[in-house]
Amino acid sequence: MKDKTIRRILGFFAVISAVLVVIAVVSVRNIKRSMTSSDWVNHTHATILEINGVLSSLRVGDAAVLTYVVTGDPQNRVASREAFSDVAEHLELAKALTRDEPAQHEELVRLETLVDERVEFSRDLLAARQSDKPDAVRTLLATDAGAEALGKIQRGVEDLTNEEMSLLDDRDRTSYVQAQTTRWTVWAGVAVDVILLGGVAWLISDDIAARRRAAAVLQEANDVLEARVRERTAALTSANERLTAENLERSWLNESQEHQLRYNQLIINSISDLVFVLTKAMNISRINPAVVRLTGFEAQDLVNKPFSSVARLADGDRAAGAALFDPIARALAEGRDLRDQPALVEDKNGRITPVRLMLFPLRDRDKVVGGVAILHLGQQSNL
Amino acid sequence: MTKHILIVDDEANVRDLLDRFLTGSGFRVTAVESADEAMRAVRQDPPHLIISDLQLEESDGLEMIAQLKSLLPDTPVILLTGVLFDPKVVREVLSGKVSAYLEKTSSLARILEEVKRLTGQ
Repeated sequence: MKDKTIRRILGFFAVISAVLVVIAVVSVRNIKRSMTSSDWVNHTHATILEINGVLSSLRVGDAAVLTYVVTGDPQNRVASREAFSDVAEHLELAKALTRDEPAQHEELVRLETLVDERVEFSRDLLAARQSDKPDAVRTLLATDAGAEALGKIQRGVEDLTNEEMSLLDDRDRTSYVQAQTTRWTVWAGVAVDVILLGGVAWLISDDIAARRRAAAVLQEANDVLEARVRERTAALTSANERLTAENLERSWLNESQEHQLRYNQLIINSISDLVFVLTKAMNISRINPAVVRLTGFEAQDLVNKPFSSVARLADGDRAAGAALFDPIARALAEGRDLRDQPALVEDKNGRITPVRLMLFPLRDRDKVVGGVAILHLGQQSNL
Repeated sequence: MTKHILIVDDEANVRDLLDRFLTGSGFRVTAVESADEAMRAVRQDPPHLIISDLQLEESDGLEMIAQLKSLLPDTPVILLTGVLFDPKVVREVLSGKVSAYLEKTSSLARILEEVKRLTGQ
């Protein structure tokens, strides 16, 4: 998206630059045309000036000649010569200025002939006055051969002036059109550039808006992600707390059971009577330290051995001890207690010790699973 | 306000487990191993609840509880012990001395339930 926008913006600026170049080229060309037109206007004005200069200088010369004829003042004669000289000069300049305009140039050549006639007449008049020939002067003035030429010259000058004025109007219109063209070119170019710049501004604005939308979408996605992470973290934390609690509970259970077991063991071990825990088959599964002390057997010597191998009722015999008719086994099988029964214990060395026997069946949910035989050393042992 | 609980037990593992559990449950815990330490702790920072074992190394838990009660007569006490009492004994003997009797084999959840009940949390 970013590259596409940049390419578009660059494209717009390229078009804007092209329009500016076109405006510059057209403007420079029109300025050149305007300068040319201006030169032409100046040229036309100069031509008109020179043509009118011919007429005015000719009139000045005529006036000076007539004044000289009347007054005989040499200054007027000099003035007339200067005026005629100016006439010639104006005429030459006018011809030079119309060199590229054949019709006007031809008209000026025709005008020059008339001017020459008028100048010739004035010279004749000056010569007659200078040679002091009043009759000749009078004759020349009476005929006034140059008067017709002067009229023609005046009309010719007016025609030329009108033509030049007409050209001037044409050139003014052309100049105006060029100026208008330049104005319209510049304004059209500026308008196009403004539109293009507007397009660029829109593109940039659109791009910024798109970026903002993308940022908002990204932010929203991040928020959702963060929320999920928070949820997941909370779930993990909760699971961890639950696990920790379970572990703690388990540890506590182990510890408390171990404590309880140890405590129970402690109670049993601290009893001075001989305690035998029996299986239902009358085999020894556990003893307390008092048994070891009296019999000399270690636990490993007695565990899983028949109880009858170390103890029996005093009125029973050893052979019957392991038999089905053993009253202790029978009592256990029937789930009966035996209390304060005389009995005998045989130690590791075969020594017999009389004791009082008690048997308590171990019940687990009303089912006899074994028994506890307690042999008390009390009075019997003292006998 | 965080409730303060005093644990008295001569077994380090028991103290440690209870301390961790009750601290994790939002209580402030002081755990000691003897009656003397318990008396000092009570004087320095009176607890809102006392949890005590019955058989301590150097003294009797019930005697110690009686001494603590003389300092803090209104503070509830839980007797947490491995000694299993007959319900009748609990009802007739222990109920006058402690606020609650719990066997050590009780679950932590059960212990927490009792702690919350007695601390009003």
